[in-house]
Amino acid sequence: MTPNGAELQQLSGWLVIGLLVFFYGGTFLMTLGISKKKENADGYMTAGNNIGFGISAASMTATWIWASSMYASATSGYTYGISGPIHYGLWGALMILFIYPFGKRIRSVAPRAHTLAEVMHARHGRGSQLMLAGSNVVGSLISLTSNFIAGGALIGLLSPFSFQQGILTVAAGTLLYSLWSGFRASVLTDFAQVLAMLGAVVVIIPVVFFAAGGTNMFVEGAANVTPQQGNFFSSEAFMNQGAPYIAAVLAYAIGNQTIAQRLFAVREDLIKKTFVTATVGYGATIIGIGMLGVMALYLGITPTGGDLNNLIPEMAATYLGPVLLCLFLVMIIGALSSTADSDLSALSSIMMADIYGQNVAQKGEVNPKTMLLVGRVSMVLATGAGLYFASGALNILDLLVFVGALWGCLVFPVISSFYWKKVTNMAFVTSVIVALAIFIPVRFSWIPVDGLWGYTVDVLSIVGVGVVLGLMLFGFFGGRVARIGGIIATLAVAPFAFGHLHDYAVLSGSLVAYAVSTVLCYVMSARSSMEFDFDTIKDTVGDFDPSDRPAAAQTDVDAAETHS
Amino acid sequence: MEPMILTVYMLIWPVIVAGTLFVIARAFLREWRQARRDDRTMV
Repeated sequence: MTPNGAELQQLSGWLVIGLLVFFYGGTFLMTLGISKKKENADGYMTAGNNIGFGISAASMTATWIWASSMYASATSGYTYGISGPIHYGLWGALMILFIYPFGKRIRSVAPRAHTLAEVMHARHGRGSQLMLAGSNVVGSLISLTSNFIAGGALIGLLSPFSFQQGILTVAAGTLLYSLWSGFRASVLTDFAQVLAMLGAVVVIIPVVFFAAGGTNMFVEGAANVTPQQGNFFSSEAFMNQGAPYIAAVLAYAIGNQTIAQRLFAVREDLIKKTFVTATVGYGATIIGIGMLGVMALYLGITPTGGDLNNLIPEMAATYLGPVLLCLFLVMIIGALSSTADSDLSALSSIMMADIYGQNVAQKGEVNPKTMLLVGRVSMVLATGAGLYFASGALNILDLLVFVGALWGCLVFPVISSFYWKKVTNMAFVTSVIVALAIFIPVRFSWIPVDGLWGYTVDVLSIVGVGVVLGLMLFGFFGGRVARIGGIIATLAVAPFAFGHLHDYAVLSGSLVAYAVSTVLCYVMSARSSMEFDFDTIKDTVGDFDPSDRPAAAQTDVDAAETHS
Repeated sequence: MEPMILTVYMLIWPVIVAGTLFVIARAFLREWRQARRDDRTMV
């Protein structure tokens, strides 16, 4: 690209090695301060369910900001104009916000759980547990791979090293500091990573803005922007970027074990404060980074090879001096490492609690040492798999569509399972499978969406709008407001959406998944005679390794016992 | 949109990020000091 004759610069090999050693060496040293010769298996998964606000808010923010979200926000800004970053970052931030009311309920039902799937096992049984755990594993693997790819591409672009050397360095560095202490290492290092990331954003955005011409770029570059791109209320941006993302808000929050893990780790009375702070931190960071894409649009920049993933690195390499370019490299490495270590911790927890703890070991015969070994071996295998996929040996991007859809299908069955006594395992599993089966032909337009099928898709999508809004309202205001809001949303959208929604395959696919799973799960459960007792969950889901709980948690429990 | 409004729109985000960073860092430091006083690890 190199606009106005500016040169795209690279960092020297030794400087990049020094930065990577500084970053990964520093995080590794941090974890040495908390590591124990004999780690506690529960601490390895949730750090004792009692971490404070500062560290949990930093961890939620760092985990949710991944390199791909920075790139995607800038791409959205470049493609859809000034409203693009809002339609990526705001809805992504709301994923964190909208999950916290449900999180409080989940924590009250299962205060010492490690994974959401583990609670589903207690609520329903193996089928729903493995469905959720399986989607979590695939989702974490995709995220891990994506972060390795982002690291390799960045190092390949900004240094003399190759993409392969880059992914190997990122994978080895992340595994190095995560392997021994698991989730405890992940949340502690997240603080340093959030300092680097957010600190870099505070400096880099204004520097690039003024280096690229400041306010003048909006005058001189106005011709590069279409009326839709220059409109803050662009319908194109909303329908293609914002609306599918709104539909995905609850799906990604429910389906992501990295969120659930922090939900179970933070002290129960700090859940709201933590999630609200992370919402603001994530939203402002990602929208801010997305502004680099808007600037590139006004400047008339075309990324190298037309690859929009080059947009942010090339903006940085063009407009930042060597010192700030180093800071930029640390920011992106911090973003991808914090998410990659969270993915490793999430994967290991699922393998420890859901696979070994509840499906391999006999009931009451879980060996904490074996459990820790399962967690650490899982981390090594997941890193190997991530490297294999990142090397291009297998295209896993299509998997993301299926996993996202599966999460959409799971939202109502999972949420209702925490509130409604009548939801059965049969209703849960059947509704998810049928919804997924209908989602696939809609999403990939396997059947022409005209005539009766098109109208059917529209009706289901309109119902899906009501379901999404109803579920969002339910978390904050309860069932009555949710039902009224959902019905009003359905009726209000129907006249505009009927006959048109099926033209947007991504959006209608997600909405159909919500609608079908909700209607089926509701109808099947309403007819059941089940009266589930939620109090039984805390008796069946708890510590695997109660002998040596993490110190922070033990201190507070001691304090609570003294008070009582 | 007016260039000045666009400028504010671009530059407001780093300001919000700075505020959030301050809140998180202050809380972290408090918890770190408390953990040291209690002679235990933070996590």
